[in-house]
Amino acid sequence: MNIFSEIYGAYFRTAAKLLENEITDEKTVRETVQREGFRESVLFLPQKLIPNGEDWGLFSRTPDGKLKRITKASPVSVLTKLQEMWLKAKLSDPRIRLFIDDKTLSELNDRLADVSPLYKNEHFRFTDRFSDSDDFYNENYIKNFRIALDAVKKRKIVYIEFVSGHGKKMSGKFVMLKMEYSPKNDKFRAYCYLLRHDKIRNSGIINIGRITKIVDTGRIFRTPVSMEDYFSSRKCSSPAVIKVTTERNGVERFMLEFASYEKHTVRDLETGQYRVELWYDEQDETELLIRLLSFGPVIEILGPQSLREQAKLRIKMQAELIAEYGDEKDV
Amino acid sequence: MAGFSELIKNFDKTRDYVRDFFIYGCKVRSDFERKSIRTYGDEKRRVESWMGDYMRYDDSVHGRSVSISVDSGHIPENPLYNAYYSKSFTDNDIRLHFLITDVLNDGQSRTLKEITDTLNTEYAQLFDEQTVRNKLREYVEEGIIISEKNGKTLYYKLSEDRADDYINRYTGLDDALKFFSETQHFGIIGNSILKMLGLKNDLFFIKHNYMIHTLEDILIPEIISAINEKRHISFRTFSAKRSNDGDSSGTENQVVPMKILVSVQTGRRYLAAYIPGLRRFSAFRLDYMKTVKKGDTCEQYDEVKAKFDRNMEHCFGVSFGMRRETGTVTPMKITFFADEEKEHYIVERLEREKRCCKLEKSGEKLYTLTADVFDPNELMHWAKTFIGRIVRIEGGSDTVRKRFYCDIARMNRMYGGDEDEHIQ
Repeated sequence: MNIFSEIYGAYFRTAAKLLENEITDEKTVRETVQREGFRESVLFLPQKLIPNGEDWGLFSRTPDGKLKRITKASPVSVLTKLQEMWLKAKLSDPRIRLFIDDKTLSELNDRLADVSPLYKNEHFRFTDRFSDSDDFYNENYIKNFRIALDAVKKRKIVYIEFVSGHGKKMSGKFVMLKMEYSPKNDKFRAYCYLLRHDKIRNSGIINIGRITKIVDTGRIFRTPVSMEDYFSSRKCSSPAVIKVTTERNGVERFMLEFASYEKHTVRDLETGQYRVELWYDEQDETELLIRLLSFGPVIEILGPQSLREQAKLRIKMQAELIAEYGDEKDV
Repeated sequence: MAGFSELIKNFDKTRDYVRDFFIYGCKVRSDFERKSIRTYGDEKRRVESWMGDYMRYDDSVHGRSVSISVDSGHIPENPLYNAYYSKSFTDNDIRLHFLITDVLNDGQSRTLKEITDTLNTEYAQLFDEQTVRNKLREYVEEGIIISEKNGKTLYYKLSEDRADDYINRYTGLDDALKFFSETQHFGIIGNSILKMLGLKNDLFFIKHNYMIHTLEDILIPEIISAINEKRHISFRTFSAKRSNDGDSSGTENQVVPMKILVSVQTGRRYLAAYIPGLRRFSAFRLDYMKTVKKGDTCEQYDEVKAKFDRNMEHCFGVSFGMRRETGTVTPMKITFFADEEKEHYIVERLEREKRCCKLEKSGEKLYTLTADVFDPNELMHWAKTFIGRIVRIEGGSDTVRKRFYCDIARMNRMYGGDEDEHIQ
């Protein structure tokens, strides 16, 4: 029982897709391989599916040149024990209740009664997760989450009242685009556009936990929306440019911690130092800044100038605090 | 010499390559000194094939550099899952998979002989009974086929647990799968169910997403199983430093596993374990671990676990410091400046990020954090996110405090502040 098994693999999946139809043809084989396989699968997989003496024998050639499957029925999607154990583990995750009501959850629990969970929550510990996570047990939160999720799925226009991060009461009509979850914050947020007179006014993100009222207006936003446009509207105009030195295993620590960012890295072969360009969402600039500062002198923010200035200001304030309160014998 | 294949036998080898491309984002062929040029070429081609558009090439002065550049918060599916979908197999494996499940598709139970005969007579596929038996046994273990004894004869039938039936019957499960397939733990398994159903996650994006963790998931089921059975485990560790120094043999470890520690900020996951030989707890990075094997039962497991739970109360992150069981922890106090009227968000930040520490208002616009933790270095890495607000540091080790003051002085010089006129 291992997830690294051919039964879950791309080649088995492609073959299963093709075996759904009694008769197929070479063109469909190639198209399916292109869609379901890896980028180069079309070089390797069709010849194992199309009869040629070297194939797997899953299809035979018909007199009119088509391909006939050797199986009688469409393949069935049987859940493996591993998949059921994973599902069982998820039933104990409080977030499952955001998606499934209590009655259905209880039926699902009964169905999987004889299955052991793949893991228990107690097997893991999140060491640095923030403590103010969303309250996934709160009925009001669950209700708001479901309305927001439904609005995302159907691109509904919803009226929302919420409290901003600065404590201001806000309201408006929004079109919901996607949901975002952060394991660091253990919070859900919704990507959205604020509408004025049914036109996009600007992009936004709303914390589900800050919503005080959400109402379906019964209307659908029909203008096509591109997520790329949405993301680029929120992205920094120029990347943070960071010099990363090898001191205190800095390169590895930095690269791992910032692995989730889109980045471009260049290494100086002589010094072993890296120059890294990081792209980030503008509203996350402070979060990026404080994380960069936590690396101390191991890294240096080279640009953009505004980010470097913010770092400089904080460091100056810190130096002044040390001068005023620091214990001189420590230095 | 065998030709190139997209599929792989050995997951561990691929883990190394993907990790290097992904984490460093800047590797050239000459960096992979320990591997042959052919191996490098094949691994790179495979990763390219899996990663599709996420690979990025840069022509640098020292050869063509390959990297994976992904804004992991803005993609709906972890491309590294493809590594799991690349297991190699034999022609018989795939033939028997579709043929046996087709024979049993009518829901009837059959004996080994009946299945083998049907394959021969109705499908014109000649297999010996031993080959079919092995595959049946494997699929019983996987839960795809159910075996039942009737008298002395073993009967086989297809499991009735179908993915599409689950989705149709349990409202909301499809959305739950979309969410859990991209989050911890074992999102890859959820993704495998979505793939069976021809579904894709079109609802969720994951911020602060360390996609690389999926490659370590291969190790965790064995560790969890050992925890459940209160057993020792053995494994080999391969640190980046030792590999870079030319030592690729790794180190053998024998430990009692306690918990998986997940950092959602540093991108690392660890196995916290008790090392009987040293009589201390330690944390091992999962990305440096390979070949986990369960060993003997640990008779004192419950006792060790109780000690571990007590120790965890003093872990700020994952480090148990250099302290032995009988040692003492080093209390530390850090005082922060925060104007609660105008900067309440700073106090909120301290509250939600303080972990096992205690926070109290210690004066006007002053908040003091008391940290009774094993490793003050971990605390200071976090405390430095408050640079500009740290008024005072007391306790802890001299080295840690000194390093902080020196770091600030160095940073002040680095950023062109007026050289440490006060800090002399």
